[in-house]
Amino acid sequence: MPGRSTPARNLRLVIVLVGILVAWTGLGYRLVGVQALDAARWEASGSAQWVREEALPAVRGTIYDRDGIELAVTVDAVTVVADPSLVTRPRLTARLVAPVVGLKRAELVAKLAADSRFAYVARGISADTADHIERLIERHELTGLSFITEPVRTYPAGTLASQVVGFVMSDTEQGLEGLELVLDEHLTGTPGTQVIERDRFGVPIPQGMYTIEPAVQGADVVLTIDREIQYAAERYLTEALETTGAAAGTVVVQHVATGELLAVASAPGFDPNNRTEISPETVRNRAVADVYEPGSTLKVVTIAAALDEGLVTPSSRFDVPDELLIHDKVYTDTGRTGPEEMTLARIVARSSNIGTIAVQQLLGNRLHHQYLERFGLGESTTSGMPGEAPGQLQPVEQWCSTTCGPSTAIGYRVGVTPLQMAAVFATIANGGVWVQPHIVSEIIPSSGERIVTVPVQRSVISEDTARTMQLMLQGVVDSGTGTRAAVDGYTVGGKTGTTEKWMPEEVRYSATARIASFIGFAPVNDPQVVIAVVLDSPHGDVPGSSPNSLGEYPRFEFGGVSAAPVFASVAEATLHQLGVPPDGS
Amino acid sequence: MALAAPVAVLVVIGLGAVMSSSSVVAIRGGLDQYAIFERQLLFVAIGIAAMIVTTKIPYQAYARWAPLILMVAIGGLAATQLVGTVRGGSRSWIGIGAFTVQPSEFAKFAVVTYLAAVLARKEGYLGQFSHVALPAIGSLGVVSALVMLQPDLGTTILIVVAAFAVIVASEAPVRHVAALGLASLGGAVFLARAAPYRWQRLTAWFDSTPDILGADLQVHQAQVALGSGGLFGVGLGASRARWSYLPNAHTDFIFAIIGEETGLAGSLTVILFFVFFTVVGAVVAMRASDSFGRLLAIGLVTWLSFQAIVNIGGVVDALPITGVPLPFISVGGSAMIVNLAVVGVLLNIARSGVEPPARRS
Repeated sequence: MPGRSTPARNLRLVIVLVGILVAWTGLGYRLVGVQALDAARWEASGSAQWVREEALPAVRGTIYDRDGIELAVTVDAVTVVADPSLVTRPRLTARLVAPVVGLKRAELVAKLAADSRFAYVARGISADTADHIERLIERHELTGLSFITEPVRTYPAGTLASQVVGFVMSDTEQGLEGLELVLDEHLTGTPGTQVIERDRFGVPIPQGMYTIEPAVQGADVVLTIDREIQYAAERYLTEALETTGAAAGTVVVQHVATGELLAVASAPGFDPNNRTEISPETVRNRAVADVYEPGSTLKVVTIAAALDEGLVTPSSRFDVPDELLIHDKVYTDTGRTGPEEMTLARIVARSSNIGTIAVQQLLGNRLHHQYLERFGLGESTTSGMPGEAPGQLQPVEQWCSTTCGPSTAIGYRVGVTPLQMAAVFATIANGGVWVQPHIVSEIIPSSGERIVTVPVQRSVISEDTARTMQLMLQGVVDSGTGTRAAVDGYTVGGKTGTTEKWMPEEVRYSATARIASFIGFAPVNDPQVVIAVVLDSPHGDVPGSSPNSLGEYPRFEFGGVSAAPVFASVAEATLHQLGVPPDGS
Repeated sequence: MALAAPVAVLVVIGLGAVMSSSSVVAIRGGLDQYAIFERQLLFVAIGIAAMIVTTKIPYQAYARWAPLILMVAIGGLAATQLVGTVRGGSRSWIGIGAFTVQPSEFAKFAVVTYLAAVLARKEGYLGQFSHVALPAIGSLGVVSALVMLQPDLGTTILIVVAAFAVIVASEAPVRHVAALGLASLGGAVFLARAAPYRWQRLTAWFDSTPDILGADLQVHQAQVALGSGGLFGVGLGASRARWSYLPNAHTDFIFAIIGEETGLAGSLTVILFFVFFTVVGAVVAMRASDSFGRLLAIGLVTWLSFQAIVNIGGVVDALPITGVPLPFISVGGSAMIVNLAVVGVLLNIARSGVEPPARRS
């Protein structure tokens, strides 16, 4: 090494070394910045991506009938979802899958070709359908489709009590109609939260932190509905709509002593599992939402009040003309020719308007109104079902002194719901005590106290009056207007009703359409159930029938003709289901 | 043996980091969680064997065989273009049985050895530019061109910088060194512009508003990992970034996982051991018994140390990402074996070097 000393050569090495060490120092400086000075900011940014606060859905509570049979239940169902960014062949995929899930091909292509990372293909499909799609995915190597489970609300009983139970919004399981709506707060439960660390693909990091606040599951609800009785009520009601040509109808079955509603049926109905049939007409819970003028069935209030006030007895006699003019109004009795002397019992059995008006004249408006109120008219029964109408009962101060009392006595000028009328008859059947009709037996939270419905009760008429009424109403079925309501083996009491249908849009009564009803109870010797049947606009002659003594053919417009047979069928099924021993012939 | 100590520490730290960082990748790939770690353990064993072998080989032999070594390296690089497999966008690997080798790792050694041999042999003629420039430009040019064909800018830069260190350490006049330096810089800029993705990486690095979901994702996630580590780390095996947030967590970005799990304390420790290695390596060069040993040692030390700087510089967002592994630590067989073999060469140079004067007590 000529001319160079070791230190000089080493200087070159030192230069290289220093260069490298300067770079290392720079990195150390930079590290202090990232890991000490700015560490908090980077750590927050890290936590934000791997620590997730997630909602834990609460399972919606189940709605049961009185025997624990599921009417509405949330189950895990398979849902097919797509990640459109991973779907490589949207057209082929849509052609294969669309028919399986009941979608239009173009519709599915649009979903699969969307510029997004998530799309529903089919929600809540059956296991068979899921298998089918899985096979398609395998055979054709389809990409971007996957299966998840989602809670889905199903109604195992289908159309049964659908207007009572209601339904939920399919996406959110939020109650939309019926008890699903009013009990939503109980059924929903409280979602929990979990804090969990997840990897970039959403898989939990094993050693990550985990805290959980568990969801509180929704409360279960037990209804007073008896599935068998409800089924019978719906079946005979639907048959009646066919045979009588009625546009709609409702049947209420109420347990006399407890006020429990064993059946609340409305027709036409819908299947909550298949929303295509849903319309305001089919969703309507007519037992509480429809307000109608009750007609003759309301006469029981007039008669019971007069009896209870000691103004009359069943054998009190009245001279009953065949026509009565009050102020500007002519009252008549159907099928009458000439004046007649009638007992009170006969007035009831014959459903005489003029006779009942005579009783009302003895009673007076004030007392009459008082009894109407005590029987629960003009205010909601608060049965627990949504959309319950209070009906209409004018304050007595506003009643005119002429026709108001008489018209009210025979069931006009008062708006009622079928359920209110059932409760009126239940009061008579229950020895004079009005019991709040109710649909919810108990609410069972996932933890904590059960909420058991305790119905409101109040005495309306004396037990003697009630018993007298029961016997007079038995006469209606035995030999009056309600003979078609008779049930083999049981004594039955009840009252027919036929009113002109009020047309609110036209502000007049319909010339042809009638509201036909029959409300009764059985057995008379120990009343167990009250059944109210109300049909909207039944019409036509009864096929194969013979005319009465006046040459009149029975027509479905009359409650005794169209509604009474429905009562008989439902009553028979109900008494058998309840195991009530026969008491008659 | 002072050189072996920092290397041993770095290899051990590396194995720990690999065990943690590779487990998620292994599981995602359908393997046992320790599959990649066990493979790396095998590579370390092979590397130690190679190191023991190279420790025994008198380093002067490389001077004699330098042209052949360079030819083999060039042949290997050429072969990657013909039969190589592509990984991460670079055609850098050749499959041999169950393993793949990376000829560019060997090429670094070849270029440094060749230049050290030529410059040591021509010590008397270094005043003439052609004696420096021809071998430098010739060997560097061919090797760089082949590595750039893969393409692998990071490795090219490492080769150029290591070669440059050899030239600086030689007796070549300062003006010649400066001229070569400027030429290399010009070449690097040209190459960076030549490929759009490289330019994008560079501009992404200079861009003040990071695109954390696109070009800057890796760097952003690396900072998140390092920052999450704080001063003392989240604990061994407790990295979150390795759960698919930080791509290449077990290879090019393994330093971020070390920083996350052991904090600033751990990451600075790694840096200190690299510095330790560098200083000891430079001392080995100073005490080398001849010019070839001196140039070879400084070239090899510069290569390994600078590779670590480029890697960590990318991870801490101080330098652009170039895709070079962290020596002694990142997962990778070829690199580990070659790096440890190189340590063996350095140990051999140290063994035959001038002993420091014994201190009198």
